[in-house]
Amino acid sequence: MKLIKCIIRPNKVDEVKDALAKLNIAGMTVTEVRGHGKQKGHTAIYRGKEYNVSLLPKMEIEVVVADNMADDVVKAVVQAARTGEIGDGRVFVLPVLESYRIRTGEKES
Amino acid sequence: MSLTQPGSGGSTLVTAFDAARSELEADALRGAGGRAALERYADRVDAMLRQLFSDASGSDVPVAVIALGGYGRRHLCLQSDIDLLVLFEREIGKAEERFLRGFLNPLWDLGVVVGHQVRELNDFERLETNNAEFLLALLDARPVAGLRSLFDRFRTLFHTAATHAYILKSLLELIDQRHAAFNATLYQLEPDVKEAPGALRDLTATRTIAMLTDPLLLRRGPADPARVDQAEDFLLRVRSTLHLDAGRNQNVLSHDMQERTADLLGYPGAEPRQRVERLMSDYFRHARIVTRALDWARKSAPLPVGPNLGLSRDGIRFLDPILAARNPATWIGAFQAAIDHHTEVSEEALSCVQQHVDRYRADDFFPEADDRVALLRLLTPRAGLYERLSEMHDCGLLGRVFPEFQAISWRVVRDFYHKYTVDEHTLLTIRNLERISTTTAPERVRYRNVLTAVAEPELVVLALLLHDVGKWRDDDHAVESERMAVDVLGRLQLRGDARDTVLFLIRHHLRMSLVAFRRDTEDPEIVKNFAAFIGTEERLKMLCLMTLVDVEAVSPETLTPWKEELLWRLYVDTYNHLTQRYGDELIERNQAGLDELLKQHPDDLSVAEITRFLEGLPQRYLQLFAREAIYRHVRLARDIHPDEVHLSLERSGAAIWTLAVATLDKPYLFSNICGVLSSFGMNIIRGHALTNPNGLVLDVFQFTDDERFLELNPEAHQQVLQVLERVVSGQADVTNLLRGREQGVLHARSASRFAPVVRADNEASGRYTIVDIVASNAIGLLYRISRVISRQGCDVDLVLIATEGEKAIDVFHITKGGSKLTEAEQQALTSDLLRTLEGSL
Repeated sequence: MKLIKCIIRPNKVDEVKDALAKLNIAGMTVTEVRGHGKQKGHTAIYRGKEYNVSLLPKMEIEVVVADNMADDVVKAVVQAARTGEIGDGRVFVLPVLESYRIRTGEKES
Repeated sequence: MSLTQPGSGGSTLVTAFDAARSELEADALRGAGGRAALERYADRVDAMLRQLFSDASGSDVPVAVIALGGYGRRHLCLQSDIDLLVLFEREIGKAEERFLRGFLNPLWDLGVVVGHQVRELNDFERLETNNAEFLLALLDARPVAGLRSLFDRFRTLFHTAATHAYILKSLLELIDQRHAAFNATLYQLEPDVKEAPGALRDLTATRTIAMLTDPLLLRRGPADPARVDQAEDFLLRVRSTLHLDAGRNQNVLSHDMQERTADLLGYPGAEPRQRVERLMSDYFRHARIVTRALDWARKSAPLPVGPNLGLSRDGIRFLDPILAARNPATWIGAFQAAIDHHTEVSEEALSCVQQHVDRYRADDFFPEADDRVALLRLLTPRAGLYERLSEMHDCGLLGRVFPEFQAISWRVVRDFYHKYTVDEHTLLTIRNLERISTTTAPERVRYRNVLTAVAEPELVVLALLLHDVGKWRDDDHAVESERMAVDVLGRLQLRGDARDTVLFLIRHHLRMSLVAFRRDTEDPEIVKNFAAFIGTEERLKMLCLMTLVDVEAVSPETLTPWKEELLWRLYVDTYNHLTQRYGDELIERNQAGLDELLKQHPDDLSVAEITRFLEGLPQRYLQLFAREAIYRHVRLARDIHPDEVHLSLERSGAAIWTLAVATLDKPYLFSNICGVLSSFGMNIIRGHALTNPNGLVLDVFQFTDDERFLELNPEAHQQVLQVLERVVSGQADVTNLLRGREQGVLHARSASRFAPVVRADNEASGRYTIVDIVASNAIGLLYRISRVISRQGCDVDLVLIATEGEKAIDVFHITKGGSKLTEAEQQALTSDLLRTLEGSL
């Protein structure tokens, strides 16, 4: 199993969710996050005064999928979340060692 | 009439008076000179006065004789003064003086001490503030003889809320002074039964406080009112024995008199000492009851805070609930008073409203323009507003004042994210706004500053109150809410622009959250479109606040810091776009609103003329000004020649004046106009300066005339326009005009002022260098700023002027020789500006 963690633009959440749904992925976790990558924020100006905007609002979507699904999921996310501009975000793929269903306590393979 | 004339009515009078006194003396001697005896005596004096009144030669002017003070209360003791008011309907002449002599002389001859006041009715049109004791005596006024209707007219004139409030305040002061003279203790070994703490004056004061504030007050007090009556009877019986023995108005129950009084009042005991002890222990017992009643009244009496409104311990009460029930227009005032006094509306007042509210229609609550203003004022966001609106909702008033709101009462909409009924969600949005108004949380202060900057925040609350009323139906609620709001705003007779703003906010209350949370706000095109949609900074501020509090009221989890940040960024980007980039977006043929403007043109203007005028002006111009104002500007710009200046100056609000200037561009133009306004002491608060490519300049200033120069001087209007013409055309120098005024400004500078901000930017606009200036507002500020810009060889192309309280926020769009400023030129300009601002502020 793989944990796929996507950091995307807030306005791209619906498109990414739709793309994942097409792959029959139903379970996901969506979190509001703040951070920066290469973009490193920018300087905003309000009424002549500058203030630093170092952490940008992003959305994080996490899904756990079977190993053989991982590539398709990554492709779908990248395609749905891309604008071509700086700040489009990142996708991380991590191995999942074990997974348990809390209701039953049963271990999933 | 004289008593010395034998055989006349005089001897009858002497006989009658003697008989009355003898009867009271006999009562006093039996220890029975209490209330009933004194009332009988007062009645006999009444009869005597009526006789004298009819015997006295007639007055041409209608007249009434009125008993005041103790006599007014029918507590006339043996040696008390007889206090009278002789009231004439109008100015008196010889006949009336004759009447007065005929009426009063016999009384003096009888040896009665008469305290009389002669007044005309119109004396009571104004409150006399130099004689509180007289005002107090007037509270006991009772008609004795003469014209009853005249007495009634006096009552109407005298009993006003303002007079009552003044008397109450004076009475409380008098009580304190009197108590201080007795070392503020009732336990006097030789008490004065009239003046001492716990004695007769305190008893009267207790009843007066109740009468002035809440007639039912004493019934709610700790002591049974019957025990207060018993105390009174006891004190009066004692006082009667003192008057009987002293033969004068003597009220101290001295050691000598204690034995005598104890005997007269029939206290048992073998030894005088025992009888005195019993008398005095009764005295202290009664005095304590009086003191407790007075303390209770002082603590619990509602403080008059408005027409028929009192502030008491349980909140705002209607002083007269029966009167309140008949006057629904006064109900809003109760909730306003509660907010003003940081309290609630009392349960009793709420039940009064609840009981009668269904009898009235919406219009009954704000029949007059003043009532409508008061209703809007109630909606100002500040601490207590949510609580009061909730009270209004609970007692049914809110749904009557706004029947549209009633439609969403307890309304449940199942949408998986709203956590409360629609009505409560609505009220919570208002609570959230109220909290922003006082917040000190670091991440929220920026929104508080936006709220402070909104000129009419009550319009945001009005929009919030109505934004979801359309949810009584299941389809697109924003459209339905707007439709319903049209009726409400019509009833409130809101000004046109305020009405348009409220309807805009309601119709589009979801728009900003949609753009902020669901669109890519880093895309300049998205921000540009949103800015075009919203139009002005004022609407942006209002919609931003509305969005914030609306999202926050959905559920405790809905508004996250993350969302707050997204909203803030959209706000800042849009604000910057509106203030800095509008110069690049010129009016185009297909722009929204243009068609209507051209189609509905007045007869004296042609489409061609309007089109020519608009050519090269920013799109924003159409959003800033109403159609009528635009037509006026077109007329103003008609047939303009070099060195000519066309002006219009008019009042556009209670304290706001608008000056529109059309002319052809020339150096120092903007600073000259600002300078002239400042030289007349005008405080410029808002304004726009616009230039088109043909060199036509249109400057519109809104200013306040704090010294009321324009209002008080009939010639002033013309004078200002003449000076403007002369200065703009170069015939006069504004520097000379301003010299004296600037000195004044320098002297008036205040320590609380903050450091000015000046920032030049070449990125925001494609055509202009933008200079943002935030500084302490002061008369002449714009003149000084714009002079520096001109001195640096720059042209002022567009200006936005705004003030927010003490702060002036000005955005200049400038060029030099037709291009943006170089880095070096920007440096030179900003440092020159900073020097000027720091040096002169």
